[in-house]
Amino acid sequence: MAAVATTQHDHAHVATHDAAHAHDHAHHSVSFIRKYIFSTDHKTIAKQFLSTSMFFLLVGGAFALFIRWQLAYPGEPIPIVGKWLPDTLVSNGAVQPGFYTQLVTMHATIMIFFVIIPMATGAFANFCIPLMIGTDDMAMPTVNMVSFWLVPIAGLTIMSGFFVEGGTAAAGWTNYPPLSASGTGHTLWVIGVFLVGFSSILGGMNYLATTLNKRAKGMRMFDMPLTVWALFITSILQVLGTPVLASAVSLLFVDQVFHAGIFIPENLLTSTGGLFPSGANVGAGGGGQPVLFQHLFWFYSHPAVYIMILPIMGIVSDILATFARKAIFGYKAMVFALMAIAFLGFVVWGHHMFLSGMSPLLGTTFMLSTIVIAVPSSIKIFNWLGTIWKGNIHFATPNLNALGFISTFVCGGLSGIFMAIGPIDVYIHDTYFIVAHIHYVLFGGALFGIFAGVYYWYPKMFGKMYNETLGKFHFFLTFITFNLCFFPMHMIGVGGHMRRIHDPYVYEFLKPFQPINQFITIFAILMGFSQLILIFNLLWSLKFGRTAPRNPWRANSLEWAAPAHPGHGNFDRDITVYRGPYEFASPQSKRDYLPQWIRPAHVEAGQEVAVAEKH
Amino acid sequence: MFDFSWNMLTYFPPGISTYSESLDDLFRLVYWISAAIFVLVQIVLVTFIFKYRTRPGHKSIYHHGNNVVEFVWTLAPTVLFAGLGLYSDEMWKVMKYSSRVPSPDVEIDVVGQAFNWNVRYPGGDGILGKRHARYRTAQNLFGIDPTDVHGKDDIVLTGEFNLPINKNVVVHLSSVDVLHSYFLPNFRIKQDAVPGSWIDVWFNGTKPGKYELACAELCGSGHYAMRGVLNMQSDADFATWMDAKITAKKAILAAQAANPQPEVATPAPSSAPPAGEHGSSH
Repeated sequence: MAAVATTQHDHAHVATHDAAHAHDHAHHSVSFIRKYIFSTDHKTIAKQFLSTSMFFLLVGGAFALFIRWQLAYPGEPIPIVGKWLPDTLVSNGAVQPGFYTQLVTMHATIMIFFVIIPMATGAFANFCIPLMIGTDDMAMPTVNMVSFWLVPIAGLTIMSGFFVEGGTAAAGWTNYPPLSASGTGHTLWVIGVFLVGFSSILGGMNYLATTLNKRAKGMRMFDMPLTVWALFITSILQVLGTPVLASAVSLLFVDQVFHAGIFIPENLLTSTGGLFPSGANVGAGGGGQPVLFQHLFWFYSHPAVYIMILPIMGIVSDILATFARKAIFGYKAMVFALMAIAFLGFVVWGHHMFLSGMSPLLGTTFMLSTIVIAVPSSIKIFNWLGTIWKGNIHFATPNLNALGFISTFVCGGLSGIFMAIGPIDVYIHDTYFIVAHIHYVLFGGALFGIFAGVYYWYPKMFGKMYNETLGKFHFFLTFITFNLCFFPMHMIGVGGHMRRIHDPYVYEFLKPFQPINQFITIFAILMGFSQLILIFNLLWSLKFGRTAPRNPWRANSLEWAAPAHPGHGNFDRDITVYRGPYEFASPQSKRDYLPQWIRPAHVEAGQEVAVAEKH
Repeated sequence: MFDFSWNMLTYFPPGISTYSESLDDLFRLVYWISAAIFVLVQIVLVTFIFKYRTRPGHKSIYHHGNNVVEFVWTLAPTVLFAGLGLYSDEMWKVMKYSSRVPSPDVEIDVVGQAFNWNVRYPGGDGILGKRHARYRTAQNLFGIDPTDVHGKDDIVLTGEFNLPINKNVVVHLSSVDVLHSYFLPNFRIKQDAVPGSWIDVWFNGTKPGKYELACAELCGSGHYAMRGVLNMQSDADFATWMDAKITAKKAILAAQAANPQPEVATPAPSSAPPAGEHGSSH
């Protein structure tokens, strides 16, 4: 419909609705604030999650570049921004040791809690679940709105740490006590993480309720696209795991504010080395056990790794199938592998704690359970390869990012084997090998998948096509600079280079690694600035992009049955599901795809094309 | 440009403990297995991308998968990875199981303190004095029990310390403030130092020389500079060095006995004093 092309899309969809159906027009009179700020429409909330995460991606990325600058050129002023930063953080424009520990803490906190998790489970779950199961909105739209608004509040709470005495949190994103047991910045961190965790729980419950109760007529669980399956299983992880994180940080809060000493052993020397602000007295409680916090923290935070990667696996599966014009190889195996990863994710947290001093017998257990996770991960990789096997692969930007995801995820998965093996972990734990691994999984894995998803659903989100040339340019630049930035980190990790150190060259054995650190930094900077192409593309295309058709990728799942730029209520036709989501190249149809919502009668009559493309 | 190799095995610092070589071997094994899988998967990926790229007249096939193939590629990684895990467990036991720690030739205490490593030797009597957290002050980091005679001659060093080669060294490790991690890259050993717990670490160094000791767990703004030096010496050199330390300590004890200073040996109250007020116990 041509009207959808106008930038005044709200008017456009009124017209669409008036023409098509006459249901539920109450939303047309909502105020600007309810429509764009405190909206309960899942698509608006998805866009809010997306834009908030994109903002935090730039902040977290800038922090990463400060870190890289310091490692490559320690003691030299940060270019451009160094002279604007206050003397409490920099001296002569160069990163001070205290600021460095704040940077590593905030970089990871922002990227994990405010970029990847809100992006994977906030933006995509909100946008995809209702559309892909063919319903009008979430089961609990108001809860959904609250779930979003907790995120910026939590983000501001944590970021405000930069403006309090003693600075923001500086104990690493894991925030282990006793280091984290005092200081206003750490308390703000705890409050922020609690709030963002609460958002995660609310979101997860909503996604579960929606998926279970609101599927379109005829859609069985095993008719759901893998994106929905992955988000469904992720939601279970969120609902079961996040309360444990909440308990961990709540107990830490009690230690920080009331000096309960839950994680604080007897008679610590707390005033040494200027560690704690004057007057802080964290040791008063006594008798606590710092390792307990690690157990509680990782009981959530290992499943959190899968909260960050499972939705991406689902998204990548759908994109690969669509652009290979071929069904997912082993759909049920893929679902069971997701379930297996999610289940095993709850019994492997101890591999983060091989060095914590826990019983070595437990170490053996965690080593075996961890290494077994490689099995469902391998199944997924093999099935993705099986999916593109004998396909007809198109190289649009979403698919480039999805293929890039496979390539880097294999590397991240394999480097995980090293740290799953206890004795090897003893050596590489807390070195750059781990830093390389986590970035291969969370940048090379999650972020490439997020890029793929953003490009893939951009037409449905905004009614416009992104610029394909810029998209490809962004992918290739990111892919090349990513590998040149992060792969050498394995090398210096094997060389023993510790993480989170302000100046590695204090150590004789790390001095030879400075040129490699400079090499890494150059590509980190290039990679960071490459992301501006993405931001530009997304913003520019909003206004100047080509108008998107209803089903630009000729895909099968239900979101493409909705109008090009769906309004409140999503669908302009009744949706019934007749088949699975991956009927590509089906012999029943003359076209190489057969959408879920096309009536068998239309297929037999050879009318499926006309019906599917009808606007 | 600079020394750079894509083979990460070339980056190991020289290994000088009895188990460093077998650990490196295990690493190499995992490395070559992973490298083989990595290369294989990338080759398949690139081949498929090239071979099945879209072009005029090319069509995809209608295919939903194959259960036999699924079974095979589930079983194969299970056998491979579970086997690798079981195989590696032996190395884990050697490094970590207390039942496998060889009888110690040398026992020392090490405590991390932001941002220094402190070491305690048993002194002339060869016995480490009893310790307890409640005796800990800034002057008595190890919390040596002032009533135990074995503790009187214990020797405490900070930053740089010596050990003999070809001896089983057992380190009792702890911390006085926050988490630290005791990392000897050349010995391939790392262990968190946890306040409130004493954890045993063992190694046996085979080559004399100065080796760096690092802190591997973020412990505050000075974490990066929490560096120590371990000087590995031949038996004879170590004995000479130790004797000099013992003699010096005896001289100090003799001087104290001649001119007693009351605050030195005052025990802390039995209930834990508020931490952070070290030196308030007298």
